[in-house]
Amino acid sequence: MQTPTIAGSAQPKLTRGVRLQTDSKTGNSVLLFPEGVLELNETAQEILTRCDGRTVSEIIQALADEYNVDLEMLAADVRQTLADLQRRKLIELT
Amino acid sequence: MIAPRPYALLAEITYRCPLHCPYCSNPTQARNDQELTTNEWTRVIREAAALGVLQIGFSGGEPLARPDLPDLVRAAREAKLYTNLITSAIGLDDDRLRALRDAGLDSVQLSFQSDNADLADEIAGARAHQRKLDAAAKIRAAGIPLSLNFVIHRRNIDRLLQMIELAESLQAERVELANVQFYGWAFLNRAALLPTREQVVRAREIATAAKARLAGKIDIFYVLPDYYENRPKPCLSGWGQRYITVNPIGEVLPCPTASSAIPDLRFENVRERALDWIWRESESFNRFRGTEWMPEPCQSCPQREIDFGGCRCQAALLTGNAANTDPVCELSPNRARVDEVLRDLNSSTPKAFGADWTYRMNPKNAATLQQVT
Repeated sequence: MQTPTIAGSAQPKLTRGVRLQTDSKTGNSVLLFPEGVLELNETAQEILTRCDGRTVSEIIQALADEYNVDLEMLAADVRQTLADLQRRKLIELT
Repeated sequence: MIAPRPYALLAEITYRCPLHCPYCSNPTQARNDQELTTNEWTRVIREAAALGVLQIGFSGGEPLARPDLPDLVRAAREAKLYTNLITSAIGLDDDRLRALRDAGLDSVQLSFQSDNADLADEIAGARAHQRKLDAAAKIRAAGIPLSLNFVIHRRNIDRLLQMIELAESLQAERVELANVQFYGWAFLNRAALLPTREQVVRAREIATAAKARLAGKIDIFYVLPDYYENRPKPCLSGWGQRYITVNPIGEVLPCPTASSAIPDLRFENVRERALDWIWRESESFNRFRGTEWMPEPCQSCPQREIDFGGCRCQAALLTGNAANTDPVCELSPNRARVDEVLRDLNSSTPKAFGADWTYRMNPKNAATLQQVT
């Protein structure tokens, strides 16, 4: 799959009205929004808990520092996830 | 049977409403004599959260008719629920909006009857349209996400494009264009509400084009008129699978229209039983859970876990038996009942086309609404 073009300097943040919280039933993270609930996979969870004003590049670097993974694959994974969330209007890139 | 985990609670906190829309899905013979108290609702909300519910919709009737709405929103937020107010906005003045926002209200779904004030007020049976426009602006200014909901029927379907334009001008994030579903008052008024085939075809084109044009700007949800479909809607994503409704007097329903559409099913009350027991053990939640209850042609149908046999209430209303296949399905032995209704309308003279409707009335024993200025 082709990696979506998202600038490294973009700052992802949750769209207004979207809430990130822990599902007490499963311990996993979920996004809550007017139309429903999205259960997050591990990648999305790790990214979204770091959407606190940091840029895409900073988030990728933080994940790379924490987990011993291939940086290129990680970056592609992060961009893919962000693009999916943006398409669903759950995050905004500013 | 092992019960799944519910995700959403529809809290119908009152049947009182200042509007009289003839398509209301509330029961035509609603009882509203002993509404649940603030404490009772707070307990229901906590029990729902413990069961796994993550979302709550405050609905009715008009939920703003209850002065304790902000307290209930606060209780829901404390239970970590995502809170959605489903409202006509009549009664939403600055003070109430502030109280709701301070309580943590997450989003508002505002109903409109049309884009055109005269038509909208005629449909609502009340002068409401201008107040809704004012309310929409206030909700936007308060920074609360706004969805608009239009119920579509024969009298307003030709203005679909203008209704979408209204949603654009009000800067809604989302608009739901929901063709009327025939339950409650809408079932009673079906002859006046059902659109013609010609109207439905045209509306679908307009909705599809608008969806493409506004992609990324406004999310448009177009709910199809199911009488004109060949396969039934996947009602509730399956009976007793994801949703719980609690009505104003505390009855717990797998679906908001079940109490009036399926009279032979007995519904438990939160005043007598814990919500957890009702969800897992009650006859009403287990009767149509899963696939074992299904008759043919559903039982051997490859679609059975996709549409779940359609809608139990529709089966009950149109065939007299809630356990039948939804008669909208082309494989149903009762499809002729739907076709007959469509044939009557689409081959009829303009006289039937202009059929009158009966406005929704509040339950007789309901207290008078607070006067709102």
